[in-house]
Amino acid sequence: MYEVAQHIADVRLLVSAPSVEDLFRDAVRGMYAVMRGEPAPDARPVQRTITVEDSADRTALLVDFLNEVLHRTHVARELFDGVSFARFEEVSLQATLTGVAPAAFDEDVKAVTYHEADVVERENVWHTTLVFDI
Amino acid sequence: MQKKDLNKLDDHLWEIPKHYRPDMRVPARVYTSEKMLDHILQDRSLMQLLNVATLPGIRKYAIAMPDVHEGYGFPIGGVAAVDAQDGVISPGGIGYDINCGVRLLRANVTFDDVQPVLEKLSRSVAREVPSGTGRGGPLRLKRPDLDLVLREGAGRAVEMGYGDAEDLKHIESQGCLDGADPGAVSEQARERGHDQLGTIGSGNHFVEIDRIDEIYDTDTAEQYGLQRGGIVVQIHTGSRGLGHQVATDSIRVMTKAMPRYGIDLPDRELACAPLSSGEGRQYLRAMSAAANFAFANRQLITAAVRRAWKHQFPDDALSIVYDVAHNVAKVERYPDVGEVVVHRKGATRAFPGQPVLIPGSMGTASYLLLGEEKSMTDTFGSCCHGAGRMMSRTKARAEIRLEDLRGRLRSQGIVAEAGSSKGLVEEAPEAYKDIDAVVDVVARAGIARKIARFRPIGVVKG
Repeated sequence: MYEVAQHIADVRLLVSAPSVEDLFRDAVRGMYAVMRGEPAPDARPVQRTITVEDSADRTALLVDFLNEVLHRTHVARELFDGVSFARFEEVSLQATLTGVAPAAFDEDVKAVTYHEADVVERENVWHTTLVFDI
Repeated sequence: MQKKDLNKLDDHLWEIPKHYRPDMRVPARVYTSEKMLDHILQDRSLMQLLNVATLPGIRKYAIAMPDVHEGYGFPIGGVAAVDAQDGVISPGGIGYDINCGVRLLRANVTFDDVQPVLEKLSRSVAREVPSGTGRGGPLRLKRPDLDLVLREGAGRAVEMGYGDAEDLKHIESQGCLDGADPGAVSEQARERGHDQLGTIGSGNHFVEIDRIDEIYDTDTAEQYGLQRGGIVVQIHTGSRGLGHQVATDSIRVMTKAMPRYGIDLPDRELACAPLSSGEGRQYLRAMSAAANFAFANRQLITAAVRRAWKHQFPDDALSIVYDVAHNVAKVERYPDVGEVVVHRKGATRAFPGQPVLIPGSMGTASYLLLGEEKSMTDTFGSCCHGAGRMMSRTKARAEIRLEDLRGRLRSQGIVAEAGSSKGLVEEAPEAYKDIDAVVDVVARAGIARKIARFRPIGVVKG
């Protein structure tokens, strides 16, 4: 699950999930919720594969993954809310994203920052905070 | 942090001593009035400033300007000078919107000429200047053309027919940072930027038509062709997706590189590398290229505003007063510390005699200031950059009704053209600090002095 929380200038997203893979999925859905606008009349389903290799650690993997998704969103006007992982390792992953294009945006996310990001497990639940630059 | 943790140095300057936290390398200084300090203490901006004070090689003090507010990594309104020989460069100290900045144009027509056609003029500007999230511009640059923009900045836009050589004389660094290397800009950044030249984007970016309502220094104002009742236009935008991606790429690279250099910092968003390292030099080259993209962007938008202007005033011409960045790093030399990399994140260069542009919100004043000598000894030639947010976007959306906002703007004689109602509400005047109070602090501190004040009459936002 995710919750959009207050930040003076940007957007803070609080994410928690029963597994680390679910945490990554919910973070993508949270970013989708922040960005999505009214659906375009000609929107159609799209599917993309994204690979992230050699991140600094698991927290960096999440931030790097979300920035890869964001890049795809910006250059192809595709918004994603579905994620399945073909490979999920400590500092690398391969994911198939599903979503819609052309996307209509309600909010621009310039970047996913490392600020406050910290993927941790507490009492069998995975958590992180994310700050999006708006 | 509480007020008792700060030492009051004078009525507009407070200091958090170096011993406040063991990892601080220098003290942290805050330019503010006591009243504004109470508000600053309510968010995390000063904790972020203390984190900045831990950067390897930082000199004298980390500085927060009176418009400071919480950001990510650096606070917005933060300045840090880091030794160029043995210090670091931190992309987070510049931010994602590299060379976000403000350009000020001067018209020859007056408020009395503009008022009867204000709605038409504002609509015309909104039509000519592409704005909004994901909106592309008039050009689709192929690789060699984009390379020229990245290398030459505003000068390349002039060569392409967007303005003339005279424009370049009135832009910080003549609209081109030396050392820009297109080869340092990733394919991903190119993909995001190739169709965005000439667009303002969304968020707090805007084009605004203003009436000059106060002149504080008649002689200097006259030198810039400004008089009471005159008209100016402000353009606020930056390097768009290209700059955002350059920052994303660089922070990722430096996050991985830091352990190699033995650097450990309290916030990962401050990721950095020695300026002398491969990673540091690569970032400086890419950042300079992105900054040049931003200078070219504002040059294309100037051309679009000039086209809109011609529809209403065929005999008038808009001239550039000045164009200045407020998200950039520059290598500068100061007598007491030598060569340093000055990181300005939401802070404006304010060298003595240099125009300093301080935009307000869509319903409040903006200012033209002039840098003073004291900026060189006290703030590494830096000043504030705007009013500074004090209300979150979520809270603004919850508390401000669009109809009320539009009504208030109308009652002030302000025409607002916005692509997004949500964006308009998020940028409402009450979401920002009192810009008059912010500017009073830097004026009283002797960093910059007031030349002229502007009031908005036509606002175009994404």
